[in-house]
Amino acid sequence: MIRTLRILAANPLSLLGLTLVILITLAAIFAPWIAPFPTHNGAVVDFLNNNRPPSSHNWMGTDLVGRDIFSRILFAYQISLTLGVVVLAIAVPIGTMIGLLAGYIGGWLEMVLMRIVDVFLSIPPLVLAIAMMGVLEPTLTNAMLAVTAMWWPWYARLVYSIARGEREEGYVLAAEVIGAGAGHIAFREILPNCLPAIITKMTLDMGFVIIIASSLSFLGLGVQPPTADLGSMVAEGARYLPDSWWLTVFPGLAILVAVFGFNLLGDGLRDVLGVDE
Amino acid sequence: MSLLHIKDLRLGFKTLAGQVDVLHGIDLDIAAGEKIALVGESGSGKSVTARIVLGLLQETRTARINGTVQFDGQDINSMSARDRATLRGTEMSIIFQDPTSSLNPMFTIGNQFTEVLRRRDPKLSKADSHVRATTLLDEVAIPDPARVLRAYPFQLSGGMNQRVMIAMALANKPKLLLADEPGTALDVSVQAQTLTLMRDMVVQNGTSVLFISHNLGVVREFADRIYVIYRGNIVEDGPTDALFANPQHAYTRALMSAVPRITGVGIPEVPEVSDDFLAPRISHGDAL
Amino acid sequence: MTLLALNGLTKTFETPTGPVHAVSDVSLNVQAGECLAIVGESGSGKTTIANMILGILAATSGEIAFDRQTLSAKRSAKQRRRIQLVQQNPLSSLNPKRSIGASVRLGLDVYDIGKKSGRWTAVEAALDAVGLPGNMRTRAPASLSGGQRQRVSIARALACDPRLLVLDEPTSALDVLVQARVLLLLNDLRAKHGLTYIFITHDLAVVRNVADRVAVFQSGQLVELGETSQIFSAPKAAYTRQLIGAVPVVDAAELNLRNKLAEGV
Repeated sequence: MIRTLRILAANPLSLLGLTLVILITLAAIFAPWIAPFPTHNGAVVDFLNNNRPPSSHNWMGTDLVGRDIFSRILFAYQISLTLGVVVLAIAVPIGTMIGLLAGYIGGWLEMVLMRIVDVFLSIPPLVLAIAMMGVLEPTLTNAMLAVTAMWWPWYARLVYSIARGEREEGYVLAAEVIGAGAGHIAFREILPNCLPAIITKMTLDMGFVIIIASSLSFLGLGVQPPTADLGSMVAEGARYLPDSWWLTVFPGLAILVAVFGFNLLGDGLRDVLGVDE
Repeated sequence: MSLLHIKDLRLGFKTLAGQVDVLHGIDLDIAAGEKIALVGESGSGKSVTARIVLGLLQETRTARINGTVQFDGQDINSMSARDRATLRGTEMSIIFQDPTSSLNPMFTIGNQFTEVLRRRDPKLSKADSHVRATTLLDEVAIPDPARVLRAYPFQLSGGMNQRVMIAMALANKPKLLLADEPGTALDVSVQAQTLTLMRDMVVQNGTSVLFISHNLGVVREFADRIYVIYRGNIVEDGPTDALFANPQHAYTRALMSAVPRITGVGIPEVPEVSDDFLAPRISHGDAL
Repeated sequence: MTLLALNGLTKTFETPTGPVHAVSDVSLNVQAGECLAIVGESGSGKTTIANMILGILAATSGEIAFDRQTLSAKRSAKQRRRIQLVQQNPLSSLNPKRSIGASVRLGLDVYDIGKKSGRWTAVEAALDAVGLPGNMRTRAPASLSGGQRQRVSIARALACDPRLLVLDEPTSALDVLVQARVLLLLNDLRAKHGLTYIFITHDLAVVRNVADRVAVFQSGQLVELGETSQIFSAPKAAYTRQLIGAVPVVDAAELNLRNKLAEGV
């Protein structure tokens, strides 16, 4: 672990990614304490100070109802990261389990599971999520549900392809000859060899989940006002471009920085953990 | 004058933990038409030596190469990457361990021959190259060359692919052939046949050979002279007969005695490592 | 006493281009305590036979009896435990993500050998028995040499307390000096534990020095079976002579013997 971090830090880009990810995470966790206007996360109205450009008082300006944009971005990170963590915490174990079963056990199970995965993969992710959100009520929980539903198949596919290869390795044969059970071989022998790839993909995916979640709320299908969310902030401000540019540019940059950070870190991890895609 | 002259060749790799030295000053000479074997265990430095001669390792950023490698009077180390690339496939060529995986599965043998022949003669027509290839395959005793030229590598047996590789490697009449554990991936009887064929072909063409191997028995029937390499140092060298009749260096002796014999003399107690193995180099005279 | 009996063992693989007869009607007995070499080139069926003996491949027909009990591919833990395997490639046969101790311990856990609390001690003893320091058990396979890894593979098989070891080209991936040490170790272990070996290899020179008897296979058929001394003094099958004729040799005595046997005089 420490060795991994040390090698990671030797690459300036990975170090930048790691730093960004740590900063964003800290900002999200401590938002209520470090935000200049902690109450601005919710339904606060201050028409005396609405739609102000960046100033020393409001570093990133204020929105249409006078809330501090910088404060709202910090809170929006909370939502984005929570969403990312929850989505991955559900999608990764499901996908991994299915990938392992299909990849190691094979046979008809492989056929059935992987065809289901193919069906999910053949639908563009955002379209699937939009369809689901159209049917369900647009709440944060449902947004997570929708994103999770389209995310697990990627892990199933990834783990499946690795497990297929590992199945032919001598150590699997050795365990089979000794008579170890399928559960032991799948989870104790093969899974550890899939972990580097899974961890790398999770890091990269945090960025993508944030984009998808933002896209949903941009379309009005995700997190609902007045809760701060990067996607809906961009959507609200988009009508006032280019005059009130700060309404969109800062939340947009916030998305960019988060995605960029997770991608750099993911790329770095891929090199360190020796994962080929 | 020797065709390949290696003097005090040193190689190190730069790593995060500092430089790792792999070759500690190799001297090796190959005269025109001479068949040389470089014998050593895994990690001895024999394969990297071949990669330096081919001018491949020079392109690796972490490699630190020092010393002289003269091929046909030209210094390989100071040459441009382009000039080195021009030498490969024309003046020097290589045969690898596994013939089937070193041929491209996407192209027919005929197309790959055309590719090889055009390295020397870029304007060669397809028809002419087929005529040349047919002759070359005939020389390596392949029956029905026309059928083989139309085939893809995976449609041929390992032994057949090895013959194709030998014909291709010698197609442009190179001055030097590097053979890196040729045929190790093949069955023993097929390997024996193709080695005999390779020997006959290089003798006929007057090609010099650098044969890299871990197997003393295999090189014994092939090489004129042998260099034994251990941990990046040449420990013993000499004419094949002299070296086999009278191995002097502790490492060569250990290696020689550890080879199982079909006469059934048992497996001797030899150490895997010993300080004696690091003793200075012994040369059996007669060298260049 | 016969420990393992193969009776009319046959394996046919159905392929799109028709059936492939990997092993055809093989019958032979392996005596308790002996080292039987199975020799052949690629496609000889030697690996298929090994896989059937190990119970990871079902025979098309014929039977395998171990210690006078007929074995099927679906075996009880008790039956499985007594036949263990050492593979050719020591790099792939150990899980790169698990400590070598965890790999050696697997058999102890699967067969519930000894008390749980004493298993790490047993792992260390198993490593010690193959000439490795017990405290090496926490190391990853990548930090070991090829010879050390192969010793770990042997320790893993021995930890199950087997009676028969199937050695599938156990030294072909090793350097010759390391090979010598591992062959000596295998010899010692056989004597010490009263083991029986099936030694699968293409290397006749190794066979000459380790095996009691030799079974020569060609295209799935047993073409010659005999005492090692007989095979290397008066081989009967033309194919055996051909194999001996291809062995690389290093001294004059070997060269003479090889040429004599290859010509079949």
